[in-house]
Amino acid sequence: MIEIAIQKILTSALGEMSLDINTTIEKGNLVTIYGKSGAGKTTILRILAGLLSPDKGEIKVNGITWLNTINGINLKPQKRKIGFVFQDYALFPNMNVKENLLFALNKGQDTKIVNHLIEIIELGELQNRKPETLSGGQKQRVALARALVQKPSILMLDEPLSALDSEIRFKLQQYILTVHKEYKLTTLLISHDISEILRMSDKVLELDNGKIIRQGTPNEVFNYKELNAKFQFTGTIIDIVKQDFIFILTIRIGKDLVKVVADESEGEQLLIGDKILVSSKAFNPVINKIG
Amino acid sequence: MNILKGNIEKLTISGSLTLIGINVNNIGMSAIVIDTPKTAPYLKTGNTITVVFKETEVIICKGNTDKISLRNKFEGVIETLESNELLSKLKIKTTVGNISSIITTNAVKQLNLEVGTEVTAMIKTNEIMISE
Repeated sequence: MIEIAIQKILTSALGEMSLDINTTIEKGNLVTIYGKSGAGKTTILRILAGLLSPDKGEIKVNGITWLNTINGINLKPQKRKIGFVFQDYALFPNMNVKENLLFALNKGQDTKIVNHLIEIIELGELQNRKPETLSGGQKQRVALARALVQKPSILMLDEPLSALDSEIRFKLQQYILTVHKEYKLTTLLISHDISEILRMSDKVLELDNGKIIRQGTPNEVFNYKELNAKFQFTGTIIDIVKQDFIFILTIRIGKDLVKVVADESEGEQLLIGDKILVSSKAFNPVINKIG
Repeated sequence: MNILKGNIEKLTISGSLTLIGINVNNIGMSAIVIDTPKTAPYLKTGNTITVVFKETEVIICKGNTDKISLRNKFEGVIETLESNELLSKLKIKTTVGNISSIITTNAVKQLNLEVGTEVTAMIKTNEIMISE
């Protein structure tokens, strides 16, 4: 369990903001931090990782104090057993994939973990290639593997997938979930993508202006009632047309545009650009084989 | 959207499907879902659930409905009726509360529907969504 109670005054282009976070994260959970740019999401990860100090506060991980500003305790980043993946891949360009992973080992650490990671993140065919020959998604898989070489207990992912297209993104989400379970990690993810959050997280912390404004399961936070619909997608509204007693919504779901009929009570609260969850019973779709 | 509250009265499970018997204000409803108490633990006799169905899925019948396959039937009286060129919207006052229906204006004309007409609102079992 991670217990965080921290405060820090941050200065940004918009002026001063006071970051004030007090929450606990269960061991083994995948928790997403969600919120606008500048809300303090990355700062929380940096403070947890020991890359930044809060003005005051305490961080305890599984009962061990990592930080306590009153007692002057502040564990060095390398003592905190944290794996980090950022949006940019930051791989060593002169080393191939396997060398990048081996380089991340601690002195004297068994190299077995590298082979295991190559296996479960399916890097076997890429292991002798240099980063410059890899696609964005492949590089991010290597970055994920490298973050896990030292067997961290906490994995931090700062918008690791936001530069990738939706198909690759989906695959990487699966890899993240696989390693999260395999290594029994506590994972903190920063993401803006609601479908990603719904798919991956046990818990969401919504941040605004340095404070947690909502927390709970993704369904609680995004107020999606758990309808037992099986045909369910998240999308973005592109167009709204009202006709008679219905609204015809054009929605972008992944790469596809679909049209959906909403009734007045649904349609009246919607605006172009809104993110929505579309649900239908599974009995209606008609299937045609196309490939 | 039509939203009603009910209690689970009976669960019939077969493979990955469950047929749910629901009591809504002493009227029996049925819903079928691709879930079982294993995949959806709230499927438990006695539990209160929310029953949801779209206005566009509500069928309107005048007169006898005995020999119709639909399992969800609510007798009531048309309280409001608005018609446009293609579609009409009806609000029906029933014992489970108001139910809205959107049907074609042609159907409204053919059945001679007007405010005060006694009708039965019906919904297919597989169009009913439920949530906790």
